[in-house]
Formats: sequence, C-alpha cells, structure tokens
Amino acid sequence: MLIDRSHRGWAIFFGIALTTSTILYSMYVARAADGPSGGSFMGLLFGIAGTACMGAAALLTVRKTKPHWRVGRASAWLRGHLWLGALSFPLILFHAGFGFGGPLAAVLMGAFWVVFVTGVWGLLLQQILPRFITQQVPQETVYEQIDHVRVQLLEEAIALTRGSGSRSAVARKKTAGAIQGRVVESRAAIDVSEYDEARQPLIRFLDERMRPFFRRGYGGRTALGNPYRRQAMFAELKTKLHPELHPVAEDLEAICDQRAQLNTQRRLHHWLHGWLLVHVPLSWLVVVLTAVHAAVSLWYG
Amino acid sequence: MNAEPEGRLQGDALSLEEILALPAFEGCSQALLKKNLGAVVRRTYEPGDVICREGEYGSTAFLILEGETEVLLETPLAHLVGSPGRRGLLGGVKSFLQQLVRRDESDTERTPSSRSIPIDASVDLAQDHPVATLGEGELFGEMTCMSFYPRSATVRATTRVVALEMLRNILDILKRGSKTFKAQLDANYRERALATHLRSLPLFAGLTEEFIDGLRERVELVAYGPGDVIVKQGDEADALYLVRIGFVKVSQRSPGGEVILQYLRRGDYFGEMGLLGAGVRTASCTALDHVEVVRIGKTDFDRMIEHFPAIHEGMRETAAVHERENAERMRELSTVSVDDFLTQGLMQAQSLLLIDLDKCTRCDDCVRACASTHDDVTRLIRDGLRFDNYLVPTSCRSCHDPLCMIGCPVGSIRRRESKEIVIEDWCIGCGLCAKNCPYGNINMHEIGEGAQQAKAPSKAITCDLCTGLKEPSCVYACPHDAALRIDPQRFFRRGA
Repeated sequence: MLIDRSHRGWAIFFGIALTTSTILYSMYVARAADGPSGGSFMGLLFGIAGTACMGAAALLTVRKTKPHWRVGRASAWLRGHLWLGALSFPLILFHAGFGFGGPLAAVLMGAFWVVFVTGVWGLLLQQILPRFITQQVPQETVYEQIDHVRVQLLEEAIALTRGSGSRSAVARKKTAGAIQGRVVESRAAIDVSEYDEARQPLIRFLDERMRPFFRRGYGGRTALGNPYRRQAMFAELKTKLHPELHPVAEDLEAICDQRAQLNTQRRLHHWLHGWLLVHVPLSWLVVVLTAVHAAVSLWYG
Repeated sequence: MNAEPEGRLQGDALSLEEILALPAFEGCSQALLKKNLGAVVRRTYEPGDVICREGEYGSTAFLILEGETEVLLETPLAHLVGSPGRRGLLGGVKSFLQQLVRRDESDTERTPSSRSIPIDASVDLAQDHPVATLGEGELFGEMTCMSFYPRSATVRATTRVVALEMLRNILDILKRGSKTFKAQLDANYRERALATHLRSLPLFAGLTEEFIDGLRERVELVAYGPGDVIVKQGDEADALYLVRIGFVKVSQRSPGGEVILQYLRRGDYFGEMGLLGAGVRTASCTALDHVEVVRIGKTDFDRMIEHFPAIHEGMRETAAVHERENAERMRELSTVSVDDFLTQGLMQAQSLLLIDLDKCTRCDDCVRACASTHDDVTRLIRDGLRFDNYLVPTSCRSCHDPLCMIGCPVGSIRRRESKEIVIEDWCIGCGLCAKNCPYGNINMHEIGEGAQQAKAPSKAITCDLCTGLKEPSCVYACPHDAALRIDPQRFFRRGA
C-alpha cells in the first residue's frame, strides 16, 4: 500500500500515541528503582496496549478471507493494520523494557522482531515494485497464467518458424506510447514450405536457442534472457536468413521479449509477495506465543 | 436445416403448382416464386422431433401447415452458481454468515422487469412456465430468417407436424405478396401476443381486457427495413410504438455527431416522451434490421392515459428519468474533447473499472471479492489493455452504445433503469452478446451437469456493477485503493 495523504489521520494518531507512550515510559523508567519490568503496572499497561494493537492488526487476515463482506473498506483495514502494527512494536519494547526476558519471551520477541521487520520490508517493496512492474513488464499477464502464456508463445514461435502461423495469438503490444494495448495487426506468414532450405537457420535457432529459453521456470540463465545478447543473436540470425524471412525473425524476437518479460514479472512477483510467507505465519505464531506468554506470566505471577 | 450454397434447401422441395395450391401463397407473384423454387421445402416431423433448437444459428423460418408444436427454453432458467463450498457444520456456519452479509438479490438481479420472455414467434413465454403452443398457420423463426439471429427457443412437435421451411426470399414474397398470409400473421399477433406484450411491461400491467380488446383492431402493425427511420427527432409526435420484431436504435443529434441513447427490442416501447411532452420527437428511432412495430395512435394513447392515471403517472416518471439521463449524457459528450483515448473505446464507457498499476500489488483480492459476491463465479479478470498507468481489466463498461444488447434472441441482456447491464436467468447461452461486445467483457460460463459434454449448456455473464450494493465489491475489497469505478469522461478530464 502506498503511503500517501490518505494516511494522514493514522499518522497523526500514531505520532500522538508514540509520543505519549514514550513520555510515559521515560517517566516510568526514571521512577522505577529496579528498572523497567513487564510485570509492573506500567509494564503490564504497555503489554496490554501492545497486544491489543497486535490483535487488531492481525484481524486483517480474517478480513481478507472474506473480501466481499461489508465490514469496512479493505483499504481502511489495511491502513489500520499498518499503523496499529507499527505502534505495537514500541509498546511491546516498552513492555519488555528493551530486553528479551526468559526463553519463551525471547522466542516471542525474536518472532515479533521478524514480523515487524518483514512488515516494514513488505511495505517498502510495495512503495517501489508495483510501479517498477508496470514499467518493466508492459506485457504483464495474470501471474497464474504465466506458464500458460509461455506455452502459447512457444507454440506460436514453432508455427512461425514452420511458416504455418502468424503473430497474432498473444501479440498484444502493450507498449506503444501513452496509449497502450493496441492490437498489432496479424501478419500473414510467408508462404514458404516447412522443408524449405531457407528456413533451416530459423529452425536451428528455435531448437538450440529458443526452446531452452522457454523451459518452465525462469528458463535457466540462457543467453536469450539477456536483452543485449538477445538483440545481438537476432541480428546475427538475420544475416543467415533470406530478407523475406526477416519479419519472421522480428516476430520471434518479439516473442522472446515477451518471454523475458514474463520472467521479470515472475521474479518481481516473488519479491512483492515472498515476504508474506514469513510475515503471515510468524504473525500467527506471535499471537499464539503472546497468549501462552500471558497465561504463563499470570500463572506464575 | 440444410441449406445448399446457391440458397436452396435440401429436402422435399415444392413444385410451383404445390406452392400455389397453398392458401398462404394466394396472391403471390408466380414469376418470383418460380425463380425461387427450392427455397421452400415441406418437412414432416413425428411427435417428439425437434424442429429447431435454441441458440443454434439458421436462416429459415417455419410455417406450420398441420399439427401442433411446443415452444420451450431448454436452458434452465437458473442463476449461475459456482462449485459448492464446504459442507457440514462449518459449511452451514459459513453459509449462514454469508447470508448475513450478502446483498439482497430478491429485488435486484433475480427479479426481471417484465413477466414474459420474448421469443421469435407469435407468442411470448411466461417466466414461471416458459412453454407455449404453436399450431396450424403459425410462423416462427422470422427473426432468424430475416436477420440471421440465433434461434430463440426450441420448437418440438407434439403431434405429427407438417411444416414449410423457407429461406428469406420466400418469406419476403409471402409477406409482401400474399395479403392472406400477412393478414393471418397480423391477426395471430393481435389475438395472441398484443395483450401479452402490453402486459409484459410493468407500466401497462394495469390495462383492462376491455381496453385491450378495443385497442386490438385499432393499432397498426407496421414493418421497416434496416436503416429505415421510424421516428425522426424534431418531428411531430403522433403515436406510441411497441416493438414487435427486431431491434431499434434510439439516438439524438449532438454537436459531435449522433449519440446512441438506447437499443430497443421486442416488447420495448418508444415515442412516449414526445407524446407526454411538447408534442415533438426528442430522439430519432431507426430500424437496425427487419423491424415490425405496433403503432398506437395519439388518440388511443390519450384515451389510455385518461382512463388509467397510474399508467400516465408511471410514464411521466419514466420519461422524466430518461430525459434527465439523456441531457446528462449529451452534456458530458459535448464537453469532452475527442482524443486518443477513443481508440480504446474508453469514451464509450459510462462506468469503467480501472486499476492503478502504481498502487496495485497484484493480490487479486478484487477478483476474489467479485467471485464471492456472485456465487463463486467471477465476472472480472485482472487482465486487459493499459491506458497510461491504469489497467482496464476485463469487466463490463456499461457502454453508452451497448452493442452487446443487439440481437439477443430472448431479450435476456438488458440495461436496468440505471446504467448497469444485466443478463437475466433465461439466457439461452447462444453467445451472441459475447461476440458483439467489442471489449471481450462478456464471458460464457458452462453450467450444470452438462459441463462435461462436448457442447455444454452455458450462460453469459457480465459485471452488473454489484447492483444493490453501494459500491462494487472489487473496489470495496481492494486493500490498496488501486481499483476504481469511474466515469471516464469526468475522471480523465479532471486528470488532464
């Protein structure tokens, strides 16, 4: 979520809450003869406030499982999640007196730190990556469709190479100027038979260079993955082809460009969402451990 | 139907003498019939035989000579529902909770505005029991024959049936040349369909049988060819029209050219605004294909609104709403500069879903919310063309010029009083609306047990802007404020 003007109210609330709790904590530390303790009145107060913030922040997960529920806009929930989650961090530190405590508290604090850091990391990524994907992947597709599009592209390349197809199926150019998304007119394939000698360099290029690049996953670290090398390889390919077949080579290059974009999209998507794999499970671990920590603390007083 | 390339039908072709012996062809030009021998064949059907099936394309009409048929919709009148979720206790709890938060669809999506389904025959089908009977002398498949629309219903022989199957050239000769045939068709319509048509419109539901009886003989049945102007903007308003067959385009002149206000089809009416207002036509109505209308003259119209004040009041309210909407649309269109964004048809949109790609984290919560709101069948695909830093996903735009609405053989796709386009449950899955949508925003969704068959029954689905909810679910559920439902003309003008 982009941090913009819409966060103003929450930012003010956060600032006031943080300042107030910092002052209270400073006063509390100054007066505490034995130093700060989670079991003291102020320590418990910070603990309860921090836990409440954490719990409220954790409710976002529940909200997201029911996206159509009319219980407040999802963006309002996410703003609350961000700022309450952020506020919980200093409150819990105040509660712990900036220490790690016993083994359980240490594990809890460690997990809490990871949750906080991954959250901040995720937030930072969300400020940068969406825009970056927009710029770098003009032919973006739905993430789950990447493999399907990859197979389609390869099939299209095979058809083009054999002279039995035209660049149309996945040829939506989304890059032209401010207005993007014009469908490029399909170009009829040159009517040269599959076994024509002139096509041999194309077929060899497809088998030796393109097929490995179109393998599942990132397509390995193949030469075609590098934009500069890709350009050079196609320039070289053209030197081996009859001029009538140059448009086919250009279409193949466009297909490879699109394939490279899919790789970029996949990579950036993993960055954009990968942190959640740590953040979400550990958040629940923190919630559970907090409950255990509270129960143990109350039990042993 | 089997048509040979040269426009002749395979089967028991009738000789000229046989054709002329049929009462329906009385008065038709022999020379013309002679030229078109082979374009009409006699077919015999045994009880249970299907004469034509809904959704299939064809180019012929049928005239029943003997026997009786039933007309029905085979596609179930069902609301699209995705795969069932968890069952048992948890499923029950989930279902209960969903009921608490789901929109009330009882008075929105599932309640159509009319009580009958218009089909390509002299009768309409009742929504609660979509089956009707056609007998001797009745014609069906006229719209398919004249304008190549998909068959609107399945027709099955209930007794031994002898029917003539004919191509357009023969139907033309019949309708123009044979006064007997035309009179018979008109009489069938007056007798069987006029009352249903009038009453199918909630506005006219209160008309008494006595009044309709009086109207029956006085109304005119008029036919128009493609491109014919039925009423012209600025002309004197002298009649109310009820569409009997075909599609009518309603448009207004604007400084930038013609603005399409609406498409009307069988069962719709027009001309009331001029009659209720200053007596002048406020828009032009043009036949898009072969159109036949029922013309109710001004005298009868005046009598109707005098005798039925509720109808008068309802019409006045509807006319006022239309007038307001039209004025608003014209105002918007006259102030927006025509620029490059026309190329993507964004100017056409009344309500456009945009995703701000600088904010969107591609989490797909919008798609999930859409599916959750619509019984697990999403109407939104987060893919499409880009305009600047916005993605225009595959989702209905509620176009000013809703091309998708042209040609629906059963009139199941329509626009509500507001801007959203809805597809009613009696959609027969012919896919014409999906083909007509220039932006690929209507999807065909397979339904029921037949989903494993080679040609599974399907229904069209499109975004209805979450009718009944304050805000579309996709927008409401976007955690990043990236999804927006906007009026593109205002939005981009402001941006500029």
